[in-house]
Amino acid sequence: MHATWLLLVMLGLALAAGAVALAEPDDDAWGGEEDDPFAEFEDEDWDDPWATRGGGLSWTGFIEGGLGARWEDVENLDRLTLGELRLRAETRYDHGGFRVDFKGDLLWDHVIEDLDTQVRELAVTFSPATSVDLKLGRQVLTWGTGDLLFLNDLFPKDFISFFAGRDEDYLKSPSDTARMSIFTAPVNIDLAWTPRFQPDDYLYGERFVFWNPMLGEPAAPAEPRRADEPSNGELALRLFRTVAATEYALYGYTGRWKQPLGVNAAGEPAFPKLHAWGASVRTPVHKGIFNAEAAWYDSRDDRRGDDPRTPNSELRLLLGYDQELVRNLTAGTQLYAEHIQHHDRLLENSLDPEHERDEWRTVATLRLTYRALQDTLTSSLFVFVSPSDEDYYLRPAVSWRRDDHWLFSAGLNLFGGRAEHTFFGQLEDNSNGWVRLRYYY
Amino acid sequence: MKRAITFPLAILALALAPPAQAEALTDVAEIVERANLAAYYAGDDGRSEARMIIEDAQDRRQLRQFTVLRRNREVGGDQDFMVFFSRPSDVRGTVFLVAKHVERDDDRWLYLPGLDLVRRISAGDKRTSFVGSHFFYEDVSGRNPADDEHRLVETTEEHYVLESKPKSPGTVEFERYVTRIDRETFLPTKTEYYDGRERVYRVMEVLGVEEIGGHPTVTQSRISDPLSGGNTLMEFRYTEYDVGLPADVFSERYLRTPPVDWLRRSGE
Repeated sequence: MHATWLLLVMLGLALAAGAVALAEPDDDAWGGEEDDPFAEFEDEDWDDPWATRGGGLSWTGFIEGGLGARWEDVENLDRLTLGELRLRAETRYDHGGFRVDFKGDLLWDHVIEDLDTQVRELAVTFSPATSVDLKLGRQVLTWGTGDLLFLNDLFPKDFISFFAGRDEDYLKSPSDTARMSIFTAPVNIDLAWTPRFQPDDYLYGERFVFWNPMLGEPAAPAEPRRADEPSNGELALRLFRTVAATEYALYGYTGRWKQPLGVNAAGEPAFPKLHAWGASVRTPVHKGIFNAEAAWYDSRDDRRGDDPRTPNSELRLLLGYDQELVRNLTAGTQLYAEHIQHHDRLLENSLDPEHERDEWRTVATLRLTYRALQDTLTSSLFVFVSPSDEDYYLRPAVSWRRDDHWLFSAGLNLFGGRAEHTFFGQLEDNSNGWVRLRYYY
Repeated sequence: MKRAITFPLAILALALAPPAQAEALTDVAEIVERANLAAYYAGDDGRSEARMIIEDAQDRRQLRQFTVLRRNREVGGDQDFMVFFSRPSDVRGTVFLVAKHVERDDDRWLYLPGLDLVRRISAGDKRTSFVGSHFFYEDVSGRNPADDEHRLVETTEEHYVLESKPKSPGTVEFERYVTRIDRETFLPTKTEYYDGRERVYRVMEVLGVEEIGGHPTVTQSRISDPLSGGNTLMEFRYTEYDVGLPADVFSERYLRTPPVDWLRRSGE
């Protein structure tokens, strides 16, 4: 409980700081010049936002405090799942056809009692030729058509942030990547080369429990430890084209499974080799948007599927549809399936066949978003349900944007299932609630 | 200060102009078509900077600032829009791309820089708030004149007064609306929306007009909700027409990488 109180104090301080910062512009901004609402923003604020800047950089960002806790007491872990104070700074510099973007966080994370700086973006963008864009450096990359389900998007994801109730932006981790985009009439090409493999931020026992086959139950290890990361690179490719209103894309990837799903010779978790191929289509249908995506994960080190230390190859399929149901209420639904190749061999060779995945894992999702009060109050619910695993994950959340500065949000992460070893079922003891308060400057 | 000088001049120019037209138009279809062209199709393309002050019933104010690029595919027909947000900081870098279609639903995309995500948005209800303001998406890109039945109810010295009723009332929140269209410029200068109880619940007023590149252009307008008390004031500056925007600017490439050369004001 100590930790929680400290966090509350920190949050209070952040609020006070924010309130002071807010009070200043508010006092003289609107007071005197009743008849001209733009008075505060007069002329210097009409600086060309796209002009090549002569003077200094303009910085934006936010200060945010967040608190979250699990319902259940679990061994080796604190009740606190989110406890942090974060300062975000962002800027952009344009000059002579070159653009540099920077986004960085200074973070006090009370769960791991650590002060950390995180560079989310530091990249230069330019066009070496008319139809070529290059972006070099640390950046966040996203492609594919799924909503919180990723098939051909093998860029790193941060599931720890996602499960802890951080902003959804933090689900995507940055990577140090050279991205080249080539735009031609028949097809556009994206190539993303990451010289050093960047895995997901997967659960490893620092904040959340997960299935432990040795103990036969979900648990957090007494000494959390990440798997060794290989120094090989990754290459991701996308070919895409829009014809009329329909978007088509083909994908390729060579690298490694993004989570340590394998076991090396020393018996430690490892990242086995992975090739992936896929395709997607997205198009308007009826009143909404329909999307379909498929990916083949070719597990290079276990193509026969008989090595229990390496995941088998698998096929992943997705269908989705999204539509506004009534004014300000949007619904999106997805059907998703993973099929394991040579599942019989997987079971024959498994050390723990009882807890292996089913041949087919199916998931259905539903996202409901309702906007009210002139778009300032957003309520949303995201549901993952797996008929095959008989487990679920619910993400209700609400956020209120009080004005251009203050954002309050709160939500729940609810996991559950019949069995303790399934994808979401193993996370049941991680169910948590969270609140966040953010001040944009 | 530029606006302070040119705005009265514009009024003076209007006042000194010869009487609108010798003969007032009587064909409502022609008035509607000319008003649609004047309000949404000036030039072959255009760029403009805009900002909005959103004021709620509690007098809380918010700001939105953005740059708009527009290109006509066909005069009076399909158009492409791109909106690049620069303020406030939580929406900075967000880009909105719309392929407006007259014959079918619009195609809409949203670029979210935090995730590097190009999200496709379903066409949906165009009469919902544009980024939290009292303007609707449809106020920004134009309501299809063919969606309503129009009737010329009055011709005054300066205005045509039109009454419009929706062809499919179930799809909109208004019962009818009354528009005053300037006889000289064909710009709608005031629109009042009536609900089922004959109350005016929504008003659009033009507060400033300037002639830019030969096109009378709305530089300031306001949408207010008399019943709830909120309103949004929108101001356009640095508007330029016929800048020569290439068609391929309105694509995924420039959602991710803003086309700075086209966004920047000319001469800078």
